[in-house]
Amino acid sequence: MNSLTFVPLLAEGGSNAAIVSFSIYILGVMVLAWLSNRLLQSKSFLSEYFLGSRSLGVWAFALTFAATSSSGGSFIGFPSLVYTHGWIVALWIGSYMIVPIVSMGLLAKRINQVGRKSGAITIPDILRDRFESPMFGAVATGLIVFFMAFNLIAQFKGGSVILQTLLQDVPLFQTASNGLADMLHGVPILGGSEDKPGYLLCLFVFTAAVVLYTAYGGFRAVVWTDVMQGFVMVGGVVLMLPLAIWAVGGLGNATREMAQMTPPNNVKLELSISDSLSESLNIPHNSWLVLEEGDQRRVFRTAARSQIQPGEQTASYRAGNDEQSQAIPGIELTYAKQIDSQMADDLGSDVTVRVVETKEYVGGAGRAGVYVTGPGPHATSDAGFLPFSLAVSFFFMWTFSGAGQPSNMVRLMAFNNSTTLRRAIFTVSIYYTLIYFPLVIIFCCARVLLPGWETESDRIMPEMAKVTTELINMPWLAGLLVAAPFAAVMSTMDSFLLMISSAIVRDIYQRNINPEASEKSIKQLTYVATIGVGTIAMLAAVSPPQFLQDIIVFTGSGLSTSFLAPVALMLYWPRFNRQGAVAGMLGGFATHVTLYTIGTIQAGKVDAYKLFDFHPFMVGLVASFVIAIAVTCLTPPPPEHLVRKYFYK
Amino acid sequence: MPEPKTSAPPEYDPTYLNSLREAYVIVALFAVFCFWSIFVCYNYGYLSPGEQRSDISTMMGIPSWAFWGIGLPWVVVDVVAVWFCFFYMKADDLGEAHEGEDLAEQVAHLHEGEGANHE
Repeated sequence: MNSLTFVPLLAEGGSNAAIVSFSIYILGVMVLAWLSNRLLQSKSFLSEYFLGSRSLGVWAFALTFAATSSSGGSFIGFPSLVYTHGWIVALWIGSYMIVPIVSMGLLAKRINQVGRKSGAITIPDILRDRFESPMFGAVATGLIVFFMAFNLIAQFKGGSVILQTLLQDVPLFQTASNGLADMLHGVPILGGSEDKPGYLLCLFVFTAAVVLYTAYGGFRAVVWTDVMQGFVMVGGVVLMLPLAIWAVGGLGNATREMAQMTPPNNVKLELSISDSLSESLNIPHNSWLVLEEGDQRRVFRTAARSQIQPGEQTASYRAGNDEQSQAIPGIELTYAKQIDSQMADDLGSDVTVRVVETKEYVGGAGRAGVYVTGPGPHATSDAGFLPFSLAVSFFFMWTFSGAGQPSNMVRLMAFNNSTTLRRAIFTVSIYYTLIYFPLVIIFCCARVLLPGWETESDRIMPEMAKVTTELINMPWLAGLLVAAPFAAVMSTMDSFLLMISSAIVRDIYQRNINPEASEKSIKQLTYVATIGVGTIAMLAAVSPPQFLQDIIVFTGSGLSTSFLAPVALMLYWPRFNRQGAVAGMLGGFATHVTLYTIGTIQAGKVDAYKLFDFHPFMVGLVASFVIAIAVTCLTPPPPEHLVRKYFYK
Repeated sequence: MPEPKTSAPPEYDPTYLNSLREAYVIVALFAVFCFWSIFVCYNYGYLSPGEQRSDISTMMGIPSWAFWGIGLPWVVVDVVAVWFCFFYMKADDLGEAHEGEDLAEQVAHLHEGEGANHE
């Protein structure tokens, strides 16, 4: 077998490995769900289903915390950022060094103790009990359902897109997608989305699996699958790191080469052929094209799939809203070494390139060194990727936003004793060390190894997995490496799904509508709620709203600005009262939403207004603390029996 | 004549006091590492507008500013985590879980209300 035929076969092997590893993976989580359900039969239902009977040991607690915090963004969005902006992303993510100590150590021991004293199972539960205020519990429930519902839809879509990215080259997947498209043609609920059958197939398979194992096994199943997912994630990174460094001939080489690189230009291209053809000519997404003008060589890569129709000579693509455009988006390389070495793709016909429009990066164009220094290149901002104020904002945001997430807080109520907590903080510290800094190194190497992926930077993770494993003739290993992203998405989706379901069953139904409901009816309602919420979120994700990534950031930071101050103060300040807690929660929420509303009106899309250049999370959090403390000082102290119960022996 | 009984003032829960003490240390640790990373990275790793820097100094292949400003503090935090988790943080008793107590109280209040209405 010569080398020319060998490479495509390896690639195919790598793609098949993705579908095989996904199938094995799903089988694994189903077995864990079944085991969890068996355990569920012998325990108090609600406490076991939503809190694992407060009995999590070190590995379960540490890895469920770590895996829930790592969403699809960690393995798709984050690698894409490193690839696009270079080494400065190390500072952007740098606060993860201290995240485990802060987000677990700050609240864990006290929230676990207070939860035990009151018998609380959920976060609204603990807030309600601590202040004996059903109204406060209802406010907290409302905020959780409001933010989490948006986030769940976004996570469902994110998971499906990732799976589609991983499987799109597999023939079996393409056949199944086309079959689904035929089957669903004209179904009204799909709103025309049957023209993206690959996405729909992934959405149905992915969400059905998550909803099923979450509903059947409850919190314990979510935790056990998180443990498995946690090992898959760290395993993928630890395997890929040496491969990536080896592939670029050492990290020093990669960094020195990055120091010479300059950002690409964004271009619009007109692609044409001299004579029209009898059959249409496809020009795939990510095609390399070369334009020779005298002794000048220009190299382009397409950022959309386009087509030259029979009888026509110019390519067009679907530009959105079903409009056809002949200005094909793409990039132009500007780094001399890559321009000289990059060959054009064979498209089956001679395609002539004409540049219609060129836009240089606003931050960093033509400047060597931007990929190895701050603030990093940026296509549209002259302040670059990470100006000083944003560096400070992100350092605070990752650390305290994690501490303020209700989905993390509920895990802090579930470990069995303080020794477990101490070991788990250390374990998660090491875990994040093995994940985040190595990811920066891997995808800096990717910048050198795989030029031109600015056209579709979200695909850099699976591409890197494929290329590095091909280099060592082990394409099957790509399956394990690409399992990491869908493990990350699943571990976040299942936790959010359970949060909403617990809010409906425990906080709304049992605590507010029917406190005397029998265990049997609670059990039935729990299964119905979990499956129902999952199904509704899945249907909403069939035609999801735009700007999903922005919505994820909005909901994540919104939950933290609303919950962190009231929860931290209720645990540590005996004088803190109900009025202060409600005012702090609503004050943080209102500040955050107001800043987003102003930003959205200004930008015409979901966006944040950055007061003094700081992210709304920072402003909202400060507002929440100030309002909570001020209102508490201006109102009567809390009832003596509550202070005694939660602060004294 | 026997002395009148004096009730001892209530004592704070030791888990609460230990957690509070640990929280102060955590916030201080955050401040130290936040300052370390941002100070080093901003002063040694940022280009001024229009500046180019094609020869970059490295440590173990990592740009020096990222090594001293992110890589090293990251390792130091892990060492600090050993001290914090195993030598500083107390293994406090978190108490027994009073499962269902909050709901039972709620139901009892509900019935008290009904009883009062009947009287």
